[in-house]
Amino acid sequence: MKKKEGILQQFQGRVIILDGATGTELQARGMPEGVCPELWCLDNRECIQSVHEDYIKAGSDIIYTCTFGANRFKLSEYGAANIEEINTRLAGLAKRVAGDKCLVAGDIGPTGRFIEPFGEVDFDEAVEVFKEQARGLLAGGADLIVIETMIDIQEARAALIAVKEITDAFTMVSMTFESSGRTLGGTDPVSALITLQSLGADAVGCNCSTGPDGMIPLISSMQPYAAVPLVAKPNAGLPKLRQGKTFFDMEPNQFSAYSHEFVSSGVHLIGGCCGTTPAHIKTLKKSLAGLTANTPGMIPASALSSARKTIFFQKESPLVIIGERINPTGKKDLQDELLQGKTGLVKRYAREQAQGGADLLDVNVGMPGIDEAETIRAVVKDLAVSTDAPLCIDSSVPEAIEAALRVYPGRALINSISGEENKRDNLLRIARKYGAMFILLPIGGKKLPKTTPERIALIEDIFKAAQGYGFTKEDIIVDALTFAVSADQGAAMETLQTIKWCAHDFGCRTVLGLSNVSFGLPQRVWINAAFMAMAISMGLTHAIANPLSTEFMNIKRASDVLMRRDKEAKGYISHFTGSKEGSGSGPKGLSSEKARQTISAGQRVYNCIVEGNRDEIISLIQEAMKENLTPHTIVNTHMVPAIREVGDLYEKKIYFLPQLISSAETMKKGFEHLEPLIKDDERLSSKKGKILLATVKGDIHDIGKNIIALMLKNQGFEVIDLGKDVPHEDIIDAAMRHKPDIVGLSALMTTTMVNMKEVIDLSHKAGLTCRFMIGGAVVTRSYADSIGAHYAKDGVEAVRLAESLTA
Amino acid sequence: MAVTVPKAAIYSRLGYRKSHTQIPAEHLRQVEQYIDQALELIELKGSAVVMPVESIDETTLRLENGIVFESAHLAGMMKGCGSILLMGATAGKRIMDEIQSDAAEDNLSRGVVLDAAASEMTDEALDWITGYVNQGLRRNAKRLTEKRYSAGYGDFALENQKIMYDLLKMNELGVSITGSYLLIPEKSVTALAGVFSSSP
Repeated sequence: MKKKEGILQQFQGRVIILDGATGTELQARGMPEGVCPELWCLDNRECIQSVHEDYIKAGSDIIYTCTFGANRFKLSEYGAANIEEINTRLAGLAKRVAGDKCLVAGDIGPTGRFIEPFGEVDFDEAVEVFKEQARGLLAGGADLIVIETMIDIQEARAALIAVKEITDAFTMVSMTFESSGRTLGGTDPVSALITLQSLGADAVGCNCSTGPDGMIPLISSMQPYAAVPLVAKPNAGLPKLRQGKTFFDMEPNQFSAYSHEFVSSGVHLIGGCCGTTPAHIKTLKKSLAGLTANTPGMIPASALSSARKTIFFQKESPLVIIGERINPTGKKDLQDELLQGKTGLVKRYAREQAQGGADLLDVNVGMPGIDEAETIRAVVKDLAVSTDAPLCIDSSVPEAIEAALRVYPGRALINSISGEENKRDNLLRIARKYGAMFILLPIGGKKLPKTTPERIALIEDIFKAAQGYGFTKEDIIVDALTFAVSADQGAAMETLQTIKWCAHDFGCRTVLGLSNVSFGLPQRVWINAAFMAMAISMGLTHAIANPLSTEFMNIKRASDVLMRRDKEAKGYISHFTGSKEGSGSGPKGLSSEKARQTISAGQRVYNCIVEGNRDEIISLIQEAMKENLTPHTIVNTHMVPAIREVGDLYEKKIYFLPQLISSAETMKKGFEHLEPLIKDDERLSSKKGKILLATVKGDIHDIGKNIIALMLKNQGFEVIDLGKDVPHEDIIDAAMRHKPDIVGLSALMTTTMVNMKEVIDLSHKAGLTCRFMIGGAVVTRSYADSIGAHYAKDGVEAVRLAESLTA
Repeated sequence: MAVTVPKAAIYSRLGYRKSHTQIPAEHLRQVEQYIDQALELIELKGSAVVMPVESIDETTLRLENGIVFESAHLAGMMKGCGSILLMGATAGKRIMDEIQSDAAEDNLSRGVVLDAAASEMTDEALDWITGYVNQGLRRNAKRLTEKRYSAGYGDFALENQKIMYDLLKMNELGVSITGSYLLIPEKSVTALAGVFSSSP
């Protein structure tokens, strides 16, 4: 194994050439379809050795071992069990060919299984599977390790952690992205980079996915944040189909034409993936002769990631809100849930806080009687799937923090590391191993530091220890400590001084647990918000707070504008104009107070139905009745025309389905309120017909039928709904009993649609004279004609049809 | 299974047309909230298996394990394929229970959004499976047919759903099949795609 530092230096800064495809190359040299490539290569050594030889001759500085699928999960499908030995032998084959001519990268590919939280394989089991393979590769003489073609960031993490736990060999990780620019698991290139480089990858990049043209934008998006060399191994285009066979058709010259663009995008190591050959590598090498790579020298960015999102902490950005609600202290329902091992409430808090404006979510599960490590591990796994917001792992128990960080598929923030010496070094080691950022808590001994100089001394002391583990100021956020002003009114000013020193003298980010400041006082939100505004003016960058507090969040938004941290006030404008005026203008949306005062009560009922405002319909009807409108007039003069207008808007596509249904539900609620008040001789139902509805036998898809039932009822039809999967005989029996004017049948599938005809045939035999109206996803007008039925494509048309048939 | 949420497809299924539809901000927020709730309720699970083809003629696709699918449309689509991918996915029971409950409790406006989200997420799960399989195939210069086919389409009888259900072990995903070959929970699907071989 080569010393990690020597790998890049060996090539004196020039672009390093990797090899090309192995799988397609082996196929071209006779490997049959359907065999296990690794086992086949052991039986056909000359073939894989010739592939290695040809890549070395073509100019590869590093060749990959043929061990892409040589893990326990994949090899067991072929009955192989001696995993380490197979890897050792295949690495040995490559090493013997390579000699001193080039380096050998032990190749680790995906297992083909999904790792928790995205799949069922236990994370630690996955780590063990990769360790087994890595041990074999190193024993066979691999100089470095490459983890490649990963579509799942969690599997890439498992493999990287496995390698790091057994060796300090140079380790590259490359992910595979779809044409959408994300992996199949939803990870974007920047999040993958942030997560993997913080976790200790020595080079990060992309392979497979696309041809070179499609890969350049992926690499370019990583470049501004890359603190490690970037790797690119594109395909020779995408497989194309000709006469029923697939092939890659990008010629070596076309492929190499992109090489300079790759280098200017920050690529330091380049080769080829599927469909590339020694000829591609040869022209690639030639095209890059003498070119120097851009060696990244930057400090890793201050950023956190989840599996699908990265948040950068720029010092001039708006205040970052860390949602505080996932914490069982004082929340009995959450305590009960966590004790029962449930996470429904946690997920709800996560969603609500993210919608409320939280950038990060603090996760604390500490309470008496709970296994904190086990619980936080379960909660973090669920949150990793259910929210995009990066997490802040909040615990006083190092084992719980490590359990959470190990399974979190991103870069998290630890809350917190203090100066307690027995814990400090352990937590710094954990933070380093998992690449976490951390909140530096300036507390040392038993006495709390009340003054700024005391806090500064502790901050400098803890940071010095952190530097010993390789941390920089980009990795830390200092908690400036908040104490209650009800106990010491000078406490807030001391905190503000600490923030000012951190921001302007020390040069680091700061955080406050804001609500502590108002402890013991009434109407705490005002103290909290005012303190936050003052702290922002001193340079505060993060706050642990409740993003569901409107007052608090609005003052934060205003402060961001005033401190020039919300550029051009875009966030402020977007928030407030979005919540008042809306991004789309609804038709006849006369909902403002001014409009309310100038229009009649009947018109307000009308507008309410058009707008689908269920919550207000009853009170508006009551107002209309106070103005002496009769129930009959309200229904016929205002409500029915309103729902007709909604139907028109839906037909014109100005409304979409949820608006149509909301209006229909508003109408229904209003009508149910008025119906008992309408005189018998004015009832709508006496003027309209009776309709029997059913989804036919064998079909369980009935949401369309339910919509039609709602809309027909709203128009005053009497509706008898038999439900779904209704046998023919039951429909006929009901029709004979209720004597409807119309029988409405629905079906979603071609296979159940035929039952409509059978029902109609049966009705003729039974002597029924009612008309039939049919509809459903696959039903057409011509089919309706062919079976003697009328057709309605949707609820609006069904109402019109029913009216015309009963007129 | 973690798939990208197909927001555009969900809105499109709900009748949203970019050039025509106008949604007030409050309504939009509510629909977004319903979609978020749907995503919490949906428990996507999938299953897939690749099977070698024994022969394909004008009307019949025969697999090496003795399975026979009769359908001229399917056979035409699979012509030239060396193997086929069978895949299945479900959105799970919780979301369907919630939709039923919305329909029963006069909350159809939420029900239709949940329904659309579940349909599109299930479809997205099949896209995810084909993307995943394609990635593995690419290493061998193979790829899947661009379209997939399901029992009940054209002349491919719905009865074949039972064969696919069994091969995909959909019961292990919590899916059952009715006597009329419908999958329960409702938002469950199976499909076939062909695997084109690489050029020699």
